[in-house]
Amino acid sequence: MQLKNWQKMTPIGRLFHTLGIFILKRRFGQLIALFLRTVASLFDNSHNFKSDSRNIILQTFFTGVEIFIPLFVVATLFGTVVIIEVLSLMGKMGFSDIVGNLMVVVIIRELSPILTAFLIAGRSGSSLTTYIGGMVINSEVDALATMGINPIRYLVMPSVIGGTIATIIMNIIFSASAIGAGFIVTKCIIFITGNAPNLQITWNYLSTEIIKALTIPDFVFAIVKPLVFGIIITINACYQALNINRDIRQAPKATSRSVITSFLYIVFADVVLSLFYFISYMQNLSTII
Amino acid sequence: MLDEALRLENVYLSTSELSGTLFSIPRAVSYFENIRSSESNEDYQLIAGANLTLKLGETICIGGPSGKGKSAILRMIAGLARPLKGHIYYFGEYIPAERLTALEVAKRQVGYVLQNAALISNLRVIDNIALPLRYHKMGSDEEITKKVHMAMDLMRVRNFANMFPHELSVGMQKRVAIARSWAMDPKLLLMDEPTAGLDNYNRRNLLPLIDNMRTMFKTSIIIVTHDLMIAKELDCNLVFLHKKKLTEPHPFDYWLHSDSEISKDQFRDLQSVSPNT
Repeated sequence: MQLKNWQKMTPIGRLFHTLGIFILKRRFGQLIALFLRTVASLFDNSHNFKSDSRNIILQTFFTGVEIFIPLFVVATLFGTVVIIEVLSLMGKMGFSDIVGNLMVVVIIRELSPILTAFLIAGRSGSSLTTYIGGMVINSEVDALATMGINPIRYLVMPSVIGGTIATIIMNIIFSASAIGAGFIVTKCIIFITGNAPNLQITWNYLSTEIIKALTIPDFVFAIVKPLVFGIIITINACYQALNINRDIRQAPKATSRSVITSFLYIVFADVVLSLFYFISYMQNLSTII
Repeated sequence: MLDEALRLENVYLSTSELSGTLFSIPRAVSYFENIRSSESNEDYQLIAGANLTLKLGETICIGGPSGKGKSAILRMIAGLARPLKGHIYYFGEYIPAERLTALEVAKRQVGYVLQNAALISNLRVIDNIALPLRYHKMGSDEEITKKVHMAMDLMRVRNFANMFPHELSVGMQKRVAIARSWAMDPKLLLMDEPTAGLDNYNRRNLLPLIDNMRTMFKTSIIIVTHDLMIAKELDCNLVFLHKKKLTEPHPFDYWLHSDSEISKDQFRDLQSVSPNT
């Protein structure tokens, strides 16, 4: 009599097998599995560099260019608010020397990656889910697979790479426009209202303070955070889309689920990534004490 | 061994395959779930113990009542669904169920025309037909263009080459889908309802095309259809899906005159119209 696959395994092997299947049945496990399959699809034998690069460039522009104007407006207004609040508060309390530090922490470290990721999840993540979900419902994904084209390579991989590149670029644009354009708008407000906020602010002062406060980890995390967030957004969107069960009613549900779970995962990932800073703060505290 | 295109041996298929493939879930999960549920429950089986042998260059039609898993059999042969048990041999080569994916099957030049044409919606008709050729780099640019134009001429969609799929009617989409499969030079072609949605003129034009493919290119073809007259016009064998099994292949006239239950169900109208033929 032929033995089943699981009967051939040793008890330890069976334990690991059960654990693996348990993880793979969970949504989070499937999400990670999809990411690993996307990475693995980069090394597929049958591929076409031309169509892949074209898809990646299209996806980068789709994610990046059309989000630019809302992102620029949000960044400018947010930068203005942060500059006015920080300068007036710190000026009142006499902490003028940590203005640069605060600006770096608030804008470059935290708000810029998170807000960029939220905007891109709301716009590109949702439209990616609808796009691929429509293909799933029309069984176009099946057709791709039967033509020998790996759907994960053809659909998921370009959107992950393109979306991630766009998120990184957009994060840098967000930081730059929050500080640069935010400063200009602040100046305009001062000029229009006749300096009602009672601020003394020059570009020289602001820029030197910020450059003084920047450290190497800030530059690294300006790349790493949007990289992680971009991967989370696109993989989650593709996963929710591919998970649609041939039912047109599932498409709007999957879209909203994709956006909401992206927000959750982004915030969790942000906390995990910020542990680096927490640890360095703790070390500083211990030296002080 | 070498003269057979496809052989199914004692194949079992689960009912969950009717709903379609989920590419989000790793196939290992469904594989182990299927094994567990197939052992516990007999109702879980959509197909139980089907056998089929298809010779090279042979054409076979699969008939049967709707909702009994005809399309699921084609999906399984195309690699989109995985059998619970049993063996599938492609051109004499056995692919174990763990490795049976659509990509693996497509490497063996198996083409599949889906029930709804499933054209890629953001590509024009001409790009749709050229997509697999360009992706797999089957020849130079001129060869691909020539091949695509030939396919479009054969299915009479040349005038719509620069249209998007949503601008075409259902029947036209189907013709484009058939052209797309034809352009890939499949050795085994699976067609799911090729004549549904086609008018009589295009249906009559499709049949010689299928005939040409099997005589000139030695393509083996499996057609799932409710249009049983195709079997008569193509002079090929008919197989029915009956009681979760595939029957023996027999020509159209055999079924027309036999006393079996299937003949009574499927051929009643034809028998009463022309009892002597």
